[in-house]
Amino acid sequence: MKKFTKQIYPSFVYLFLYLPILIVIIFSFNDASRSLIWKGFTLKWYFELFHDSGMLTVAAHSIIIGILAASLASSIGTITAVSLFRYRFFGKNLLHGLLFVMIVTPEIVIGISLLLLYSATNVPLGFWSLLLAHTTLCIPFAAITVYSRITSLDKSIFEAARDLGASDFVIFSKIIVPLLLPAIVAAWLLSFTLSLDDVITSYFVSGPGFAILPLKVYAMVRLGIKPEINALCTLLLIGTLLLVVAAQVALKKNEKVGE
Amino acid sequence: MKIYFKSIIIFCLIYLGSFSAFAKSNVVNIYVWTAYLPTEVAKQFTKETGIRVNVSEYDSNETMYAKLKASSDIGYDIVFPSSYFLRRMRQQNMLHTLDKDKLPNFHYLNPALLNKDFDPKNDYSIPYLASITGIVVNSDSIAPNSVLKWQDLWRKDFKNSLLILDDMREVFSMALLTLGYSINDTDPKHIEEAYLKLKSLLPNTKIFNSDVEQNIYVDEDAVIGMGWNGDINLSQADNPKLKFIYPKEGFVISIDCLAITKKAPHLENAYKFINFLMRPDIAKKISLEIGYPSPNLGAIKLMSKELQENPLFNPNEEILKRGQIQNDVDEVLPLYERYWELLKIGS
Amino acid sequence: MGELDSGVGGYFAGMKNNSSFKKICVTVVWSWLFIFAMVPVLLTLITSFLTADSSSLVVFKPTLQNYTQLFNSAYLKILLQSLYLATSCTLLCLIIGYPFAFTIARSKSRHRALLLLLVMIPFWTSSLIRTYAIMALIKAKGILNTVLLAIGLIHHPLSILYSYSAVLLGCVYDLLPFMILPLYGNIEKLNPDLLEAAQDLGAGKIRTMVKVVFPLTMPGIIAGTLLVFLPAMTMFYIPVLLGGAKNLLLGNLIENQFLSANNWPMGAAISMLITVFMGAMILLYWRNAQSKDKQNLQELV
Repeated sequence: MKKFTKQIYPSFVYLFLYLPILIVIIFSFNDASRSLIWKGFTLKWYFELFHDSGMLTVAAHSIIIGILAASLASSIGTITAVSLFRYRFFGKNLLHGLLFVMIVTPEIVIGISLLLLYSATNVPLGFWSLLLAHTTLCIPFAAITVYSRITSLDKSIFEAARDLGASDFVIFSKIIVPLLLPAIVAAWLLSFTLSLDDVITSYFVSGPGFAILPLKVYAMVRLGIKPEINALCTLLLIGTLLLVVAAQVALKKNEKVGE
Repeated sequence: MKIYFKSIIIFCLIYLGSFSAFAKSNVVNIYVWTAYLPTEVAKQFTKETGIRVNVSEYDSNETMYAKLKASSDIGYDIVFPSSYFLRRMRQQNMLHTLDKDKLPNFHYLNPALLNKDFDPKNDYSIPYLASITGIVVNSDSIAPNSVLKWQDLWRKDFKNSLLILDDMREVFSMALLTLGYSINDTDPKHIEEAYLKLKSLLPNTKIFNSDVEQNIYVDEDAVIGMGWNGDINLSQADNPKLKFIYPKEGFVISIDCLAITKKAPHLENAYKFINFLMRPDIAKKISLEIGYPSPNLGAIKLMSKELQENPLFNPNEEILKRGQIQNDVDEVLPLYERYWELLKIGS
Repeated sequence: MGELDSGVGGYFAGMKNNSSFKKICVTVVWSWLFIFAMVPVLLTLITSFLTADSSSLVVFKPTLQNYTQLFNSAYLKILLQSLYLATSCTLLCLIIGYPFAFTIARSKSRHRALLLLLVMIPFWTSSLIRTYAIMALIKAKGILNTVLLAIGLIHHPLSILYSYSAVLLGCVYDLLPFMILPLYGNIEKLNPDLLEAAQDLGAGKIRTMVKVVFPLTMPGIIAGTLLVFLPAMTMFYIPVLLGGAKNLLLGNLIENQFLSANNWPMGAAISMLITVFMGAMILLYWRNAQSKDKQNLQELV
């Protein structure tokens, strides 16, 4: 029973999560351009991918936007959660409501209204418009994730710190952030994921000069799935996994040095 | 950890700095249907002229129109509206009047596809590719000879098996044709009739899709339904059993056009690019890769005899005569929309 | 979120606090959200009261028509369908996600980050691509049917694709991490001593779960439910790709209004109506939860 809950059940969930990814990898070697049925092995999609230098640039754009937007959103999300939790200020309930309204508003509505906002204020469409939009899109998700942890912190800690004369900033950076770190990491991951995957809002706020991966992918799959895109996803996935392994190894080494 | 993070951010900023400097150089900004402009063609243009081609893609006329409407100085030079949208954009003053002197390759175009109602003198548009909507059958499951007209799709034995294009105008055109009306009909009574006709088709409908209809036919998730000739033409390489039928009652011909936006920032480059696309060898390349018939007679002349005589790829004049060119329906559009929504909800 | 903790907030707010740190925080948060969230929402709200026009999209002619048109049975049907899908999706995510998040959060602390990361990595591949992979899995001649036919478990291919179950499967798959992550963030800080204490006091495993763990992780459950339920209400390409676009949901309706019908005011009105409707539901829930809290408190006293 214990083994089931500890190992077998999570493995099933992981299997569920990774099965489609596995299929993507398999189909990146499929020798058919308009079919989702296995026709034979080929490497040609990888060659085509490397001939298409634009694709790799586009992937780089997306990762950069993702990292920046996730960092911004998780920072702002954290201070939003902390402010909502600790302070009383003008329009606090409105802010609560706004976070919720943003999640429930369909992306297409956010996209079009941001586009109207940008064109009214002459913000050129490109990197900045995308970054601002993605950050905004992620903030409510980040704030709610962090907030769900903050509510269950032991409040006497803050009191004690305050009694000892710690300023708000010190309380924030030395106590709150370390305590919230797991939730902040979770918020960062969620935001990064949202940014990498956002099609609809990006569609409206992107301009002619700065292409990003979700749009490229969307474009490619809308008119039939080009296996080239499967190849790209496979490479990105392998890259990510390598990074994760490297990080793990580095951590282990650190631990050993620490010992 | 913190240092890593900082260096990543600094790297990102430097990277972006170098990028924005690059963006200001000699370019032309293309806003085109997804996968509708071969990358090879764009590359060759850059090689010959030194002008960089920025390609952004859209998946429907409506999305392109919405984006241009919301922000007209967005920076796109060339767009690819379909015939019925071209008229709307032209009437709303969203397009630049073309100077034919700057387009010396214009004479290659097929006169049969020029000067149509949607743009009487081709002052705003250049035909790029033409598409025809017909019936697709998988000859393994259904004898192609047994399905000759749109009306056959209403047969009882096709219950829950049709693929219907998720495209309002195409679907209504099909119904209007079976009723003997024009595909650009604006009579509210006829439109209601068409709606009722379509409602009776719902039990036969399995899938609404217009994005990956070729995948669905290739993988045999549907074996009969509506389709576009170019898609089926290319799909036959993956599944030779697919057959395309020009329905007896007539069919929709849609011409996808090239047009320059009113506020195009790189006007001269846009002219150069459009003229380049009309060069016979380039037009041939495009037609072969995208799979749709070319309106460029020079390009057709360069093709093999076999291709020239393939009715799916190069419908001859006799076939073209049976089709109707899609045009805007102007003020009755909201009526179409309402019936379309009812149709989709009722399914 | 807000109402639930007003007691706690009151406690902190009771202390006079005007540090510059607070000012900076509040200013940053407010100005960002005002510009990029409040203004667009207001724009949407205003648009929903204007009139659609075929040549300039929207004309400044105030009207209530966009809302009155919405009150008919056809739209009600769509609303109910969307609610049904979002509810079943949220429940499934909770059932699958809770035990999972619990196990990760209770695993050895140096493994946790890795395990969590492994949950997210699949989602760094575009959701459309993953949706297509699901299609490849469940289509008539797809992998699942091929395998099942080969081992003789079935004799006719199952037609899962282009059905309601396919849509549900896609939604659950796509939104599962939005349930797991907040749950994890919340469960992770549960004090293991507490569970042991409960069990030492004779509470059975299930009793501990129901009486101690669930209430303590309620904020996580609420956060996860919000993050899954709300987006599920307005999903739009999953019903199109996996359901064959036959069962329209609210998301499709809005998308149609904005893109095919070019009727922005109507699209805005539907969007506003969803917001109001969901807001009312959540408010009702909070009121309920609050009064229950008070009851519990009174019982305790």
